[in-house]
Amino acid sequence: MKFGVFFEVSVPRPLTRVAEQDAYRHTLEQARLADQLGFDSVWAVEHHFLEEYSHCSAPEVLLAAIAAQTSRIRVGHGAVVCVPEMNHPIRVAERAAVLDIISGGRVELGTARSSTWTELGGFQADPDATKKVWDEYVRVLPRLWGDDPVSHEGLCFSMPERSVVPKPVQKPHPPLWVTVTSPGTELDAADRGIGCLGVAAAGLAEQERRTREYFRRIEQCEPVSSVVNAQVATLNFLYCHEDDATAVGVGLPMLGLFALTNAHLLSAREAFPTRAYQSLGNLAPSGSVDRSAPGDQRGIPEGMAIGDPQRCTEAIKRWEGVGVTGINFIINAIDAIPQAAVLDSLRLFAREVMPHFRKREPH
Amino acid sequence: MLTGSADLDRLAARAPTMQRFDAAPVVLHNATVLQAHFEMRYASRLTLLPPALHPTSPPTMVVQVWSCSEGPWGRFAMAQVRVGCRTGVRQRGFVVHAITDSQEAQAHLAADWGFPVQLGHVILKRHYDDITVDVEIGGRVAMAVRAVDPDPLGVGDVQYMVTMTLAHTPRGLRLVQVEPEYTTHRAERLRPELLQFDAAVWQEPQLTPYFPVSASVALSDITIPALRYVARPDVHAFEGTEAAR
Repeated sequence: MKFGVFFEVSVPRPLTRVAEQDAYRHTLEQARLADQLGFDSVWAVEHHFLEEYSHCSAPEVLLAAIAAQTSRIRVGHGAVVCVPEMNHPIRVAERAAVLDIISGGRVELGTARSSTWTELGGFQADPDATKKVWDEYVRVLPRLWGDDPVSHEGLCFSMPERSVVPKPVQKPHPPLWVTVTSPGTELDAADRGIGCLGVAAAGLAEQERRTREYFRRIEQCEPVSSVVNAQVATLNFLYCHEDDATAVGVGLPMLGLFALTNAHLLSAREAFPTRAYQSLGNLAPSGSVDRSAPGDQRGIPEGMAIGDPQRCTEAIKRWEGVGVTGINFIINAIDAIPQAAVLDSLRLFAREVMPHFRKREPH
Repeated sequence: MLTGSADLDRLAARAPTMQRFDAAPVVLHNATVLQAHFEMRYASRLTLLPPALHPTSPPTMVVQVWSCSEGPWGRFAMAQVRVGCRTGVRQRGFVVHAITDSQEAQAHLAADWGFPVQLGHVILKRHYDDITVDVEIGGRVAMAVRAVDPDPLGVGDVQYMVTMTLAHTPRGLRLVQVEPEYTTHRAERLRPELLQFDAAVWQEPQLTPYFPVSASVALSDITIPALRYVARPDVHAFEGTEAAR
């Protein structure tokens, strides 16, 4: 089981410049500690215009800083938005290659297509086109990294022969992933031989179904490159404290705040009816009309790593039991937890929980 | 987290009165439902909504027009102007104002469901490649919308948000959750154009629609079921939600 830390870089109101600077300072400190403690990866989202919820609009810069301040931990895009109005495919390949060089070959590259009108509308991107354009990105990126020279004729871009430089350290290229929000994307991942990067909380039974289907299907995949990245990572929330009641009392409000700020975004499907988006958004329910009571909160997702070390260990064992190969943790949201407590939670998790899931070194 | 900051007295001035929450469900067969989304200026995103509601990011104005041919109130059309919002984590549309061309529909929509609805003219016309909606009240144009280039959608592709109206009730001023169910037989997406819009006629000068997002038109059966929830408009929905009956 691999453990990662997942950064949204949320910022509490009032949205001052100092608050944003604090959020980045805290993120870098958390990343450095995660590196020292033995976490496997840090991931940075790419979001635009999502005030309060995520101010992580230039993850390539943040990840470069993390790479420069750490020595071991892998640095992941969770994920690059594969929409040409936001990121040209050539620039995605170039930036990832440079990050791979700076980090000494530690890059993981998640791909995504954005799920909000807030972002797509802001860049005047066509929601109808994002799925087919994403497909083009994941097929062309390995060629941009590996072929020299390379040319391309496609839907979202074309280029005559050029040498795309530099080349990444990892051969043939950094592992590719796709973020999975709505059911079915795990099949897209499997068919292309790329990793499944969960970014929405799926229940255990649903995750087990998706994971089983992913690993069955990837056996017969036609990979987009010469390597297959057969991994399934899921998203979780982490707050670990010696006292279980304290952990729940601190951790659950963090989860609630995350859900609340997420719910206030304008999902692509809500504003722009399209077949290309089959769910209402990240954590939102599907279906045509949500007839819940106005004050109904979303249920607490199953298997959250919020509790004392024993409870966290049990939760992760349940995820391990459904076959996921990694868990990425959101460790704070909207400053719900003071930075010192976040760091203590990481330390406790590394000391008391992580060893249960590490293979013993041979004598 | 942003919450509405509208002056409740100002909103209350345009709210209808409901004596009870026990209206029987109503079914409106073969209704044409036009829905159009427009982004609004950020400046008024808080002052349009009561404190119980949260604005979306970006703020949106949603025009919803029903043109109904069969139902207990006879043939009628209604145009609503809503502000896209949230109650807690739930997606909702707050009805700012509505105009209908039927006195009977007006009476029921106001007294039974809390719609702030006035009598006027609502004319929806369907052509081969566009739809127009003209809304007038007292000879004054309230709104003119044109939606062009229809493109077929799946019947489940159009999302309708649950409606929040604001009404004077025996319990005081309350947000009323109206939950129309749409059984859609055909749906298309179009490109909206807001040809005219007079915010003052909609009794909310702070409405600032300026950026067209999308429009859809559907042929649906609309069921307005019995009310289940109301909420205090002055506090967060987590603490202000009440059973209607």
